[in-house]
Amino acid sequence: MRYSPTLVDHFLNPRNAGLMRDADGSGSDEYAGCGDLTRFYLKMRAGCLAEARFQAYGCGPTIAAASVATELVAGRAVEDLLVLKAQEIEDALDGLPEDRKHAAEVAAGAMRAAALDALRRRPGNREA
Amino acid sequence: MNRRVYLDHNASTPVHPEVVAEMLPYFSDVYGNPSSVHGFGRDARAAVDAARDRVAAFLRVRPEELVFTSGGTESDNFGVKGLALARGSGHVITSRVEHHAVLRSAQALEAQGFTVTYLPVDQYGMVDPDDVRRALRPDTIAISIMHANSEVGTIQPVRAIGALARDAGVPFHVDAVQTFGKVEVDVHAMNIDALSFSSHKIYGPKGIAGLYIRRGTKMVSIQHGGEHERRRRAGTENVPGIVGLGKAVEIRARDMKAEAERVSALRDRMWEGIRARVPDVRLNGHPTERLPGTANVCYRNVESESIVLGLDLKGIAVSAGSACTAGSVEPSHVLVAMGVPLDWAMGAVRSSLGRSTTTEDVDFVVASVTEVVSRIRQAMPVGAA
Ligand SMILES: Cc1ncc(COP(=O)(O)O)c(C=O)c1O
Repeated sequence: MRYSPTLVDHFLNPRNAGLMRDADGSGSDEYAGCGDLTRFYLKMRAGCLAEARFQAYGCGPTIAAASVATELVAGRAVEDLLVLKAQEIEDALDGLPEDRKHAAEVAAGAMRAAALDALRRRPGNREA
Repeated sequence: MNRRVYLDHNASTPVHPEVVAEMLPYFSDVYGNPSSVHGFGRDARAAVDAARDRVAAFLRVRPEELVFTSGGTESDNFGVKGLALARGSGHVITSRVEHHAVLRSAQALEAQGFTVTYLPVDQYGMVDPDDVRRALRPDTIAISIMHANSEVGTIQPVRAIGALARDAGVPFHVDAVQTFGKVEVDVHAMNIDALSFSSHKIYGPKGIAGLYIRRGTKMVSIQHGGEHERRRRAGTENVPGIVGLGKAVEIRARDMKAEAERVSALRDRMWEGIRARVPDVRLNGHPTERLPGTANVCYRNVESESIVLGLDLKGIAVSAGSACTAGSVEPSHVLVAMGVPLDWAMGAVRSSLGRSTTTEDVDFVVASVTEVVSRIRQAMPVGAA
């Protein structure tokens, strides 16, 4: 198997999959090369992540990366989510094959987009 | 041990135990070079001749019209380039759904100044013989159309195309790698001048295949060296492989018909099962003119590779209809040519059944596909494609 047991586990048992209707922030990213698409929905409490859910279209690693990301960033401050790196997601999956690195990049990009949206919509923000 | 189900027989098959038994002496006992004049060589030559006779009888052709090659790919290269290069220059007709062994051979000919027409196919992946007729030109020097498509299983109207080719006096090459030993191939009724066939798709060993070349057909070699195969294909014969191919063919002559019926019923059971349980699916390929064991199914808005992975983790081997290599996905050229929309084409999964496939296997696959696809779809973004 070219994928780690952690990746396989997240693919087989995705954590926090599905839509969140009352999210405080949502964002997506896609990888044009192969049409992979990941979307996160965030629920914030006191500036920190209370709950994350994902939706993903793509190969096994893409689904697993989105799933692992929702656990990885639990409780983090929104500002920290803004700078989430793909490498951190890849590490949480115990590695990705060279030709599947984009799975972590799409997940990281989507998480940053969702965090930015949450920040914009934060009560008190003039733009909101 | 966990259940393992192999549904990738169009990619390759397990060598039949009777074939293995027949081959074994030719590794360590009868190991001479068939070109050698001594007894060791003569024994090897006799085995090659006997196998050639078996294949010739099966195809109802003369033994000397058969050339053994290293695989379907070489046979296709030989068939396409051999016919074209023998005529120096001109126009070649083929289709958009050929195996890459034919498509890339045609492209190589284009690079050498030949012109090539790549015929379209209909929604079922079928070439219209009228398109062949319209594509014919005074300088057309070869036609190459496959018998059955390996991805979707559609069987081309080669009989009608062969008749056109014969009327026009243009040699006709057919890639029969997926039909040889599975469904009837009649080079006479189909007016075929060159026919690619292979061993490892019909429970024979890998690394051996052949090209039938109708007597009198002008053809040049593409591999040069010694005088082997009546100077048409240089290289010491793969004796164990040829023996294995001969035996595999003999078994196919015996089992082909009954197996086609059995496998076809299992294929139908699988598709009916999937269709009844999984929403948003479609079966690709021609409804009736198709290989018995092939089912190419598209799962809309699901990515093929994730299904293949999900099934692999359950011990089921199928193949993805789209390939994601180095981060860019190419949907199958066959499905694209058939006009299958991208949101469907990206979710194509091919199952190809074979002699070991059982009803229990098929039911297990249906249950597994249902579970895997619904799990993946739960995580799917609305409106993603
Ligand atoms: C229709 C067709 N032609 C040619 C080939 C090439 O055969 P091989 O890979 O054995 O060289 C294949 C194998 O998949 C095939 O399905």
